[in-house]
Amino acid sequence: MENPLTLEPLFRLGPVPVTEPVAVTWAILVLAAAGCHLATRRLRLAPGRLQTVLELFVTALDSQIRDTMQRDPGRFRTLIGSIFLYVLAANWSSLVPGIEPPTARLETDAALALIVFAATVWHGIAALGPGGYLATFAEPSWVMIPLNLVEQVTRTFSLIVRLFGNVMSGVFVIGILLSLAGLLVPIPLMALDLLTGAVQAYIFAVLATVFIGAAMGEHPPASQTAKEPRP
Amino acid sequence: MTFDWWTLGLQTVNVLVLFWILSHFLFRPVSEIIAKRQAAAMDELGRARADRARAEAALAEARARDDDVAQQRAALLSEAQEGAERARQHLLEEARQEAAGLRAGAEAEARRLRREAEAAMQDAAADLAVEISQRLLARLPGPGASAGFIDGLAKAVAELPEQTRQGLGAAGPVAIRAACALGPEETRALADRLAAVLGREVALSVSVDPALIAGLELDAPHAVVRNHFRADLDRIRQELGAHG
Repeated sequence: MENPLTLEPLFRLGPVPVTEPVAVTWAILVLAAAGCHLATRRLRLAPGRLQTVLELFVTALDSQIRDTMQRDPGRFRTLIGSIFLYVLAANWSSLVPGIEPPTARLETDAALALIVFAATVWHGIAALGPGGYLATFAEPSWVMIPLNLVEQVTRTFSLIVRLFGNVMSGVFVIGILLSLAGLLVPIPLMALDLLTGAVQAYIFAVLATVFIGAAMGEHPPASQTAKEPRP
Repeated sequence: MTFDWWTLGLQTVNVLVLFWILSHFLFRPVSEIIAKRQAAAMDELGRARADRARAEAALAEARARDDDVAQQRAALLSEAQEGAERARQHLLEEARQEAAGLRAGAEAEARRLRREAEAAMQDAAADLAVEISQRLLARLPGPGASAGFIDGLAKAVAELPEQTRQGLGAAGPVAIRAACALGPEETRALADRLAAVLGREVALSVSVDPALIAGLELDAPHAVVRNHFRADLDRIRQELGAHG
């Protein structure tokens, strides 16, 4: 029997092995590009139904970011919104028969967590400066420096493991039930998987927001919050 | 369990590419249209506020204009009332004057009518008196109706101017009209009396005219001597009319 935790390349581009998560992500990229292009090519001041849904999503995303970070959401909208949409699309890709969600693989989750980690460091330094950012590791006391450093690593790993464990477990359970019970039995669990996938996408995006906001400090400059939203 | 570093790298790149795709095709255009709508709404709000301010200013101006119009209306109304009162007084005065004029004219007309009626009544009374006298005198006997007037006629002829008296009977018989036919004695007496007055004999041509009622009338070329009741009654009536 094939080990479900091993990752075999589908094909190779020269020396680069292309695995299933990469191929599925490419498909998601293509669908996202095409879908977003079609959906936003004729935006109007008097919105239609689809435009209203898109604006509602962006407005809710901005509101979530503003409430969590107490900052202008324009700088973080693309990062947080893209992470949420990608994790959601990747989780729900399991509905397509024969497709394993990319987030059920550690590599994908690690890539997302690394991006969040890099964004945390980047925005922390941008907001506080290199010295100020490093000084946050000595809060509330220099004794906490080792623990804060470990925290940076552990919370990144927690992002990876949380997403990986939830999605992978769902895939495993459905696969086991399919092999044991038949076609229709896993459907309730697949529906539960949809909910789990949406919740995990939301949790991943909210945690990324919290981490970045924490790295930028508790009290943002007044001029930064007073800025108009920008794309 | 294995970990594929190539997959990690590719997925990292893929996610970064997804960031660009979603930013370019989703978040940027949607946030731009939201911002554009907000700007349009703010513009509309600003215009609405400006319109409201203008409307309020126009309303205040209209109210001020209404107040001015009301004041002007009150002034004009008061002035019109005063003018109407003056016109009414003027018309009343004119009416009084016209009524006074009409009353004076009516009174004058009434006086004139009364005078005319009185004159008519006097004429009728005179006619009635003449008629009564005429009827009464018509009952007198014939010779007496003329004989008693011979002396009076002779006296009247004697009072004529000399030249007129000289012309009597010069061109022919003197025309005498009598109320009734004269008898021979009466004719002789008349001829004698005239001869005595004129100093010469004159021929007489006596004719009868009952309209004289009683008396005689001498018709000369340049004079008429009347001595009969008809002439007396005509004179009386003229005098009555003149006194009425």
